[in-house]
This record gives sequence, structure tokens and C-alpha cells, in this order.
Amino acid sequence: MTKSMLQARVIAVNAAAAGTVRLTLEAPDWAAAAHAGHFVNIQVPQRCDLLWRRPFSLHRADPVRGTIDLLIAAVGRGSQALARCQTGDRLDAIGLLGNTFPLDPAAREIIMVAGGIGIAPFDLLLQDAAEIRCRKTLFYGTRCAEALCRSPLWQEHGVEFHLATEDGSAGYRGRVLEPLRRYLESDQDRSGRILYGCGPTPMLAGLCALALETGFRGFISVENLMACGFGACVGCPVELRVPRPDGQKYLLACKDGPVFPIEEILLHD
Amino acid sequence: MIDLSVRIGGLQLANPILTASGTFGYGSKFADFMDLNQLGGIVTKTITLESRPGNPAPRICETPAGMLNSIGLPNLGVARFIEEKWPFLSTLRTAVIVNVAGRSMDDFVAAIEALEPVAGIAAYELNYSCPNVKEGGLAFSSEAQVAAKLTRKIRGVTRRPLIAKLTPNVARIGEIGRACEASGADAVSAINTLVGMAVDIRTRKPRLATVTGGLSGPAIRPVALAKVYELVQTLSIPVIGIGGIATATDALEFIIAGAAAVQIGTAGFMNPCAAAEVVKGLEAYCHQERVESLAELRGSLRL
Repeated sequence: MTKSMLQARVIAVNAAAAGTVRLTLEAPDWAAAAHAGHFVNIQVPQRCDLLWRRPFSLHRADPVRGTIDLLIAAVGRGSQALARCQTGDRLDAIGLLGNTFPLDPAAREIIMVAGGIGIAPFDLLLQDAAEIRCRKTLFYGTRCAEALCRSPLWQEHGVEFHLATEDGSAGYRGRVLEPLRRYLESDQDRSGRILYGCGPTPMLAGLCALALETGFRGFISVENLMACGFGACVGCPVELRVPRPDGQKYLLACKDGPVFPIEEILLHD
Repeated sequence: MIDLSVRIGGLQLANPILTASGTFGYGSKFADFMDLNQLGGIVTKTITLESRPGNPAPRICETPAGMLNSIGLPNLGVARFIEEKWPFLSTLRTAVIVNVAGRSMDDFVAAIEALEPVAGIAAYELNYSCPNVKEGGLAFSSEAQVAAKLTRKIRGVTRRPLIAKLTPNVARIGEIGRACEASGADAVSAINTLVGMAVDIRTRKPRLATVTGGLSGPAIRPVALAKVYELVQTLSIPVIGIGGIATATDALEFIIAGAAAVQIGTAGFMNPCAAAEVVKGLEAYCHQERVESLAELRGSLRL
């Protein structure tokens, strides 16, 4: 769909986890067109010192009510200010931006791998994949139990989930890639089993290495600094694993991504 | 009917609002958001003779009311620009100004020569001043003699209007401007970005892969205005103002200080309609102030 600017009304603000809110915005056109991977770029209100908009993955979409949900972790000045917004506020947003996670109707298993706020696109992925009758597995790591954004969609869609926390306060103690490795190695039949990753760059770099080592295919949604979100600033390069014959070394996270096939790009942790 | 038109050498613009090179791609990214024909003109992202991959990440960093960038002029090269980007640009009614750079003087001249057969290019903006490329770039407008020599060489291969884009990272920008004027430039545009730097105190790494980069955005506007005013005082050719312009008010400051036209750059990242909104705002101001043509405003600074 065509990209557009919107003064989106905040319909609801709910706590999703410690330091993380779930914002529901009125955006009927975007709700109807949204798929997992899409993002919106939101201006921080009343903060002219913060020049850039802040990009957020779409978390859920409700085409009937005409709303989209975002997960906002209050980690920096911009996200802290946005996490404080209230029902009735209007947020200046640009969307829908970016590409989306490709789905395979013949998939045998969708293996979602999320780190921290990288959980955001996976509710929408479950919505997108509702018609695909396959096994759905989630590996999800955070710092601690309080930071977990649990979702009712996991149960609705029959997701088998594996949690990991760095402090061991819930699930496996350690990084999420460790139980994922054991899981992938325990069943060597890779046909129709597709990895979908989203999270901090070091985790995604580790996921790519693991996938290439074990021979699993999949897609990751990268996070990257971006000034514009629609391909103009050229500030969000993602390195190609193999440079193109014409000398091209980079893709852009906002325009060519944020979703890339694991084998296509090279992340540095 | 308010006359916002402006003439810069042989370049006729419907209004004085242009987009700044390196912030507007080749226009198409903005067509989703606005009618590009509302603008006085578009200045393309820099084209070089050969393609360039650009710099590694991180390329950008947000700073107070501004940003640093070190993109490194990634582009397809002249031949693919003509083949892949020009077909869209050639459909526009607005003036299309092609921004050009080179690693060496010969390289620069060869890029212009390769663009000469393309019908419809309104003017060339000569990127003498990108701070983010290892070779050439900044060097061309840091010294008056070098700027003069290169401008003369380029003047020798084209009759199209030439706009020399100047760096503020010099002691006296007026001297560089004068050298360009004396060597055949039809106008100058200023300022390119100011060299800047930022450090992540947690990792102790620079926030840009190239350590330093170029500062843009509202943070640099007063500096840009002072440099433009200096150029207006020094030169007899038109000066195009650039630097942190986001609103009609900002644009008017430059025009009142003597700028013939202005470019909107970084503002378009946050508000892709910024340039079109500035055009509307200029019209509204002229109505309100009973100004019939832009010429009445230009250089009307009361001292």
C-alpha cells in the first residue's frame, strides 16, 4: 500500500510488562493492510530536541476495530516519552513501512525466536499464519521474568513456548539461543521448518550463525538506527553476506527490510 | 497572484523551494506523500562517475536538534543513474538539478560529460564539499585555487547552470565563493554539513563508523544563516541557502538575508511533506504581508 502520514489517536495504553506498554492506535487503513514485519515511525511529541521519529514494529492489527497495537519498551528518551502518552492523545505517525515476513502455506513448523522487545511482531505473525495448520513454537528470552510480554495469542494459536531469562527468574536461565540450539539439534529433519527471528543485533547475529550451522532456513527482522524510515536518509545499511557483482555491499533496513532471509545478510555483534 | 518565481543564472524556478541533495534520494520516495511538482526543484542525491557502495554502519547519529551522518555517497554511478533513475525524474515538471561529485578533477569532469547528453537536466550542483569521503570531497572547496581550477574545468564542458555547493568548514567561505564565481559558477549553495563527532560512553566507541561526520538539522541553522549572509555580501551571483530549514519561517529568514532560493534537507526525513508545506507557508506569508513578488523580500534585511 501507499505510505501515508497520520495523526493517530491513542485508543488504549496498557502495561505489557515492567517498563513496556502496549499502545492501541486508531489507524483503519493500516490495520487492514498490516502484516508481521511492517513498522510505523512515530514522532516524539513535545520534544523538538529529539529530531528523529522512533520506529516500532506492528504488534497486532484488528481490521474490524480499525486499530493497530505497538509494544513500546521505555529504554531511551524517545521511547520513555512515548510510553507516557495517554488515551486520547494523537501521535504523528508514518506508515506502513518496510517489508513483511514471508509465510509458507506448506510449512511444517514456524519457529519464532524473540529477544526482549523483539517479541513485538510475533503476535501479528500468528495472526498472519492463522490459516496455516502447522506446529508453532516460540523461543523467547528477556532479562528477567518481569520483562516478559506474555500474550493470550500464544494459547489461542496453540503455541508451544520456551522462555529464557538471563537471571533465571522464569524458564531457562541464560540466553534463548541455548535452548533453541538443543531444540534444533534434537530433531534433524529440517524440511518445512522455518525460523523467524527478531531482537537485538547480537542475538540475531547468533541466530544467523546457528541457522547456517544447523542448516535451518529462516528470516530475521533487524533493528537499526534510521532517520526517515522510507529510504531517503540511507542511514540504515545492512551488510550483504556476499557483495553483488555490481559492487553493491549494503541493503537498507527500512526499504529492503526490516525482514531479510538469514543467508542474505551479515550482522556484526 | 503572488509571483514566487526566481531565476538563478539560466535556471528558472517556479518558486524558491528546492530539496537538498542527499536527503531526497531521486524523488520517488517522496511521491507517496506529496506532489513533487509543487516544488521549485529537486536536487538529486550525489552521482559519481562510478558506483559507490557507501560507508559501513553506523552511518547516522541523533544529536540535540540535529543529526550526524556519514553516508559516503552511495550511488549507482552515472550510467545506471541515467538508465534507472532519470526516467522517473524526467516525467516531473519541476526543475531537476543533478548533484555531482568526483574523486579527482578528471573524474568529476568525466561525470559531467557523461550527463551532458541527457535532455532535461535543469542544472548541476557541484558537490565540492562532502565531508564523508576519503578522496576529494571536502578538498575541492577548502582552498580557493582548487575550487577555481575545478569550476573552470567543468565550465569548459557544459553550458548548463552550475551551482557550487560550499563547505562551512573553512576559515572564510566568502573567498571560496568568490573563486567559484570568478571561474564560471552561476550560483553557490551553502552550507553543506558541519564536521561533528559523538561518542558512546558505554562502549567508548565513536557513534559513526568513520569517527566524524556531518552535522545537519535545526541545530546548524543560525550558523548556516550567518554563512549565507556572508556570501550574499561578498558575491554578485545568487546564493542558495541550506542548513536546518524546516518551515516557511526558516526559509524566510534566509530569503530576507538575501538568499535567492533555499533547500530543505534533514527536515524531510521527519516530515516528508516539509518542502511542500514551506511553499504553502511562503504564499501565506506573502498574502499576509501584502508582498507581490519574492524579489521584494529578497535581501530586505533592515539593519
